[in-house]
Amino acid sequence: MAHTTEIDAKAAWDGGQSPFRVSYGKMMMWFFLVSDALTFGGLLISYGFIRHKYADVWPKAENVFTHFPFVEQHLPLAYVGLMTFILIMSSVTMVLAVEAGHRMDRKGVTMWMFWTIVGGALFVGSQAWEWYHFIVGTHDGALRNVWDMATGSYVQQTYHGATMVVNEYGVPQFANYFFFITGFHGFHVFSGVIINLVIFLNVLKGTYEKRGHYEMVEKVGLYWHFVDLVWVFVFTFFYLL
Amino acid sequence: MEFHDDYPSYETMANHSEEDGKKARKVLWKVFWVMLFITIFELIVGSMAPGRGWSGTMGLKVLFIGLTVVKAGAIVLWFMHLGHEVKFLKYVILIPYMVFILYTVFIVLVEGVYSGKPGNFTRVDKIFIDQQKELSSGHHGAAAAHGAEAEHGAEHH
Repeated sequence: MAHTTEIDAKAAWDGGQSPFRVSYGKMMMWFFLVSDALTFGGLLISYGFIRHKYADVWPKAENVFTHFPFVEQHLPLAYVGLMTFILIMSSVTMVLAVEAGHRMDRKGVTMWMFWTIVGGALFVGSQAWEWYHFIVGTHDGALRNVWDMATGSYVQQTYHGATMVVNEYGVPQFANYFFFITGFHGFHVFSGVIINLVIFLNVLKGTYEKRGHYEMVEKVGLYWHFVDLVWVFVFTFFYLL
Repeated sequence: MEFHDDYPSYETMANHSEEDGKKARKVLWKVFWVMLFITIFELIVGSMAPGRGWSGTMGLKVLFIGLTVVKAGAIVLWFMHLGHEVKFLKYVILIPYMVFILYTVFIVLVEGVYSGKPGNFTRVDKIFIDQQKELSSGHHGAAAAHGAEAEHGAEHH
């Protein structure tokens, strides 16, 4: 029972059983994740292209993300390190929830799902904090050409923070890609937290206990791990390289 | 760690015994510690290595990307337990993805190297990069504003 039974390759496709040995829902979740991964892949690859092209004038992440809550000193990359840790940790609690589900351990699923949701919410909150500091900017600011509506021309002035059009850190494309990619990922995390919450409530209600299996936990687990997977790449390409 | 040998199955509706659970948890925590170690290592190297950024050394870039791929593999194979699925499912998911992504990476690398050469910059690219360089060097020279205005003027006429 515990081991994968070898299936006859010819008989597998004759119908009456899943040749992949998974349910329809789980297979479709995988196919959705493949398409979503291609979207993120496209975004990150185009980011690499623009960054390579403007390599000379591209800001360095450790000069941009230097803040840590309640700490005055400059701590480059410390906060994003903490965020990464939170997301990896919530990925582990998710996989433990899936594992508990396979043993029909309702208490275990409840506990681990709860911690997964807490981790996800913490991550979204951290993301919001990071955005806030990126948008507000530093005390000193930097000299930028800012479009002046009144005169209809560019005016050179000290500018703080970042928008889609101009930012104090460097080329506008840096802020564009930062907002778009971390925003797209952050929205995935946000949706993941909501979906996890729905499944969590179902676990509390005993829906899956009645159904006889916790496969839904496994399906949202796949989505949640995917979100973690994307962050691993965003972390490398945005903050490390 | 071998797949399919001593690991609980994730087939449809496969329920695990307590013993299976213990085995799986041991492996999963091991994967977690490896990932945590890699992340901490990346952070230490990332915040200490001199001359970082896209202009950093090739070896550093390759190291970071390699470690990222290792982490991604750990997530997909163990956390999403794709490694424990039937062979066909594994290939149906991984092969199309790899084909498209590797092709895109290849084509963008070729185009990126071409368009990144200063000789291949467009006129607008050149103005833009010069402006950005001047701004980031903190020069209060009027040239940048002048350039911007000239550009704007050209737009109008």
